[in-house]
Amino acid sequence: MSLGRSTSMGLVGLSGNAVTVEVDISDGLPHYNLLGLPDAALTESRDRVRAALTNSGEVWPNRKVTVSLSPAWLPKSGSSFDLSIALSILVASGSLSQESIDSTLILGELALDGSIRGVNGVLPALIAGHREQITRAIIPVANIDEGALLESMKIVAFDHLSELLIFLRTGVGTSATADQIEVDNQSLLDFEDVAGQTRARFGAEVAAAGGHHLLLIGPPGAGKTMIASRIPTILPPLTTEESLEVTALHSVAGTLSQRSPMSRIAPIVAPHHSATRVAMVGGGAHVIRPGACSLAHHGVLFIDEAPECATGILDSLRQPLESGTITIARSIGNITFPSQFLLVLAANPCPCGKFAGRGLACSCSSVQVRRYLGKLSGPLMDRIDMRITVEPVGRADISSQTLGEPSAVIAARVLAARAIAAQRFAGRGFTLNSQIPARDLRTDFKPDRQAMAFLHDELDRERLTARGLHKVIRLGWTLADLAGRNQPTLEDVTHAYALREGGIS
Amino acid sequence: MNAEKSSRLELFAAIECGDTFWGSEIALLGAQETLIRIKDGFYRSSKAEKALSHLHPDGAPALLEKITDAGGEFIVPTDEAWPAQLNDLATPPIGLVVKGKVESLRSRSIAIVGTRNPTPYGARIASDFAAGFVDREWSVVSGGAYGIDTHAHKGALIAEGLTIAVIASGIDINYPAGNDRLFAEIAELGAIVSEVMPGTPAFPSRFLTRNRIIAALSVSTLVVEAAFRSGSLRTARDAAELMRPVMAIPGPINSPTSEGTHRLIGERAAEIVTSVHDAVELISSLELLV
Repeated sequence: MSLGRSTSMGLVGLSGNAVTVEVDISDGLPHYNLLGLPDAALTESRDRVRAALTNSGEVWPNRKVTVSLSPAWLPKSGSSFDLSIALSILVASGSLSQESIDSTLILGELALDGSIRGVNGVLPALIAGHREQITRAIIPVANIDEGALLESMKIVAFDHLSELLIFLRTGVGTSATADQIEVDNQSLLDFEDVAGQTRARFGAEVAAAGGHHLLLIGPPGAGKTMIASRIPTILPPLTTEESLEVTALHSVAGTLSQRSPMSRIAPIVAPHHSATRVAMVGGGAHVIRPGACSLAHHGVLFIDEAPECATGILDSLRQPLESGTITIARSIGNITFPSQFLLVLAANPCPCGKFAGRGLACSCSSVQVRRYLGKLSGPLMDRIDMRITVEPVGRADISSQTLGEPSAVIAARVLAARAIAAQRFAGRGFTLNSQIPARDLRTDFKPDRQAMAFLHDELDRERLTARGLHKVIRLGWTLADLAGRNQPTLEDVTHAYALREGGIS
Repeated sequence: MNAEKSSRLELFAAIECGDTFWGSEIALLGAQETLIRIKDGFYRSSKAEKALSHLHPDGAPALLEKITDAGGEFIVPTDEAWPAQLNDLATPPIGLVVKGKVESLRSRSIAIVGTRNPTPYGARIASDFAAGFVDREWSVVSGGAYGIDTHAHKGALIAEGLTIAVIASGIDINYPAGNDRLFAEIAELGAIVSEVMPGTPAFPSRFLTRNRIIAALSVSTLVVEAAFRSGSLRTARDAAELMRPVMAIPGPINSPTSEGTHRLIGERAAEIVTSVHDAVELISSLELLV
């Protein structure tokens, strides 16, 4: 037999396309031909596969080798086809039976010595394979944790090509298995480490309970980052489905090493303010990778020093903030990644950062101070529900022996508030207060009469826009939920108004 | 337009505002005589040469046309519409260009000044106090900047009262440009006042000379929020020099934009004020003493 066939997976975004790897060995001058729109990394597979095969004690067919990856129109990239190509060549040269790799999904990069290396995107590839009724997969040992998440799939994983071949030919040898995966629900961070900062802590709690985006303004060292990085600890744990979705996104992006595949803790992604648009929303030339806003799916996107971001970078977040997804258009088509996150921005009060407290050390002009926060564009700020001033930690707070309230206590309140909201919105297609549509705010979800009168008064005095009014009511609902009231009262609404406006109070 | 007024107009256009030397010359000799002396080369100083070179070749009628074209009116101290309270200044303006209701300048008014970067607290207090004073039939005087100035004007306009913006540029230049709609509204319902010819840009020193007019036009000056270094503190000092009461709004002691007001209060340069009612009572009692 001079034809071999195996199945691998090409990923476009999160969705997989089964790729059939066919190898034909025919008479002719020794030659290797790779068809099916390969990119540079894939074209180089020839040299990797050849070295790996010979170094594993196999014979390289010194004839005309044609490798075809179909569907032929789909551009393919990356090194994850190496293993599939190698096995197909062995089948075509007659040293491996076709049956041994039939209906098996094969993923893996080959090293020159024949060892099998880990690749990105194993979980989404396996999920796609599962949908195609494939029941067995050969994956690198490095990706075994991801493979173990898919219980319906039989996983075969070996360190070295020669061990894999012995197993395929004779059934001898044991595949690596995942260690008992620890479902880590315990973060190392805890809100009890945050000294003082009552207002900022409360802001974080409200943000977590209602899904309200947050801006923290304060001098360097006040604890903005400390607070933001602890928000995941008070968000409700991810459901299994959400966890799989997050792991799949991180798998495609190749950032799984920073996160346990089964983690139930909401992710937090903190891109540096020098991040490019592609890093923020996703993209890339060959492989379309999800950006920070998708990696923060179901979690927190934290951007420190937000006014320092290049123009347009923050504004590129407007689509995901609006729709919960990000669509990237490329020649191969539109790729959509999920991207529902809680946005937390942090900013210094002015370029030098010292316009706080008595402001005596600040060396900025008043124009610089005004322009600094003005860099956050109006449309983006419209989507931010709360501006919270983070004061430098006070003398009393720093030497206080008692710890702050632990995350677990706050998380319980957040969970309870979310449950109340979810019950109220049952059957309406949304679950969080921040998602209440504007028209419902005037009908079904109106605050009480006194509160409404206050808001209309503010509207008349032109201190509040219509959009601002809606935001205040949504925030008011979260405050009411946290306090266990069944409708926002005047107190809730004035409190919400103060949280939205910010400033020192 | 009589000879004295047209001479004043020529001098107004040629001399940098707030100049003490020319101010005293005009007060002593009258504008007509001063203008003749400048033209005759009586003063052998670079200052006079500069003034001479700045005189408009076509004289007063052309200048007046320029002002009228910009929608303004030119007033001098001898005019009935002239706000007499400005004569308390060491160097009163040679004249003023006014766009809007000229008679509003003679009304009883309060100056509300402060930082360009207010906190929500300061913004709210500025508009509340402006509205409160308007409700008690006071008019409001302020600059044209962003921040407290803007909020004070808005508060007065929402309460449908008179508000006066004293600006450092010509009346036809909207500086800052983002406030052009506000300026249009002020010109319609109150007045925009300038001490320079239309078309003249604002530059830093003019803001300081402008501040003395804000202080002098009003019975009292209220500083809402001011940082440690702030132009509004200068207005407060100008007002104090004119023996006009200065009031300041306290804020949190850890708020940088309240540092200046706290300093005024601490130095006894300003009275602490916590409500419109307090403020009105304070000024009224001081007015009785005078």
